[in-house]
Amino acid sequence: MEDLDRHLSAIAAGDADAFGRFVAGGERRLRESLRSFAALVDVEAVLQESLLRIWQVAPRVRPDGRPDCLLRLAIRTARNLAIDEARRTRRMALDPELLERALADAERASAAPAEPPDPRFFSAIEGCHGALPDKPKQALGARLESGGAESDAALAARLGMRLNTFLQNVTRAKRLLLDCLGRRGFAMEISR
Amino acid sequence: MSPEEREALIEQVVGAHRERAADGSVLAYPAWHDLDESARREAFERALVARRLEAALDPERRSATVRAVLARIAS
Repeated sequence: MEDLDRHLSAIAAGDADAFGRFVAGGERRLRESLRSFAALVDVEAVLQESLLRIWQVAPRVRPDGRPDCLLRLAIRTARNLAIDEARRTRRMALDPELLERALADAERASAAPAEPPDPRFFSAIEGCHGALPDKPKQALGARLESGGAESDAALAARLGMRLNTFLQNVTRAKRLLLDCLGRRGFAMEISR
Repeated sequence: MSPEEREALIEQVVGAHRERAADGSVLAYPAWHDLDESARREAFERALVARRLEAALDPERRSATVRAVLARIAS
């Protein structure tokens, strides 16, 4: 089991690449910790904002003797942000049962081990990606190259596609990748 | 909302692109507000899968979320 705190000293020193490795290792657990809020807040926005705040406070974080203290802090930060955002947009108190489910999600995510993926998964997905039809591959490639920096409308315009066509091609590319990975015996790798 | 319109909105929300407010905070995707609760939950589950695929296809194993956050830090 990998302790993501091995990146902490480099992150505290301002090493953005180390922060990238930390986020890559903890993103799934952080996202899953917010499942209870999926209908109440835009989880992607909450998650990105939480990570930006963690980058800011990392130099002041001191390990507490347990693994993944920075990730546990990120999970708490994200949960508090999600609660604030949900209260703000709904202008009402949140259901206590939802808050209990959120705490349970966060505890589960904090305790879950980070398991390294099967290395054969990466060669399988490369093969599946190479076999995609042109248009879906172009659309997915534009999303991948952009890395969230550009809107889908801008990416579609660059490819000369209507926005809906672009979105359909992205969806189709992902479905084809999942089908292909399933045929190669890697369906379970996606859910890890 | 037609099934095609619903699908297009979900796919946009699944993407990692998010605008910033004047104070620098990350804004919810506008299309997210147009989705009902069921579609929002579907977008959440599909984002989990999308980030996994993106990371697996990236040489540095970074999803679009990781890359978006690092870009914000660098800007």
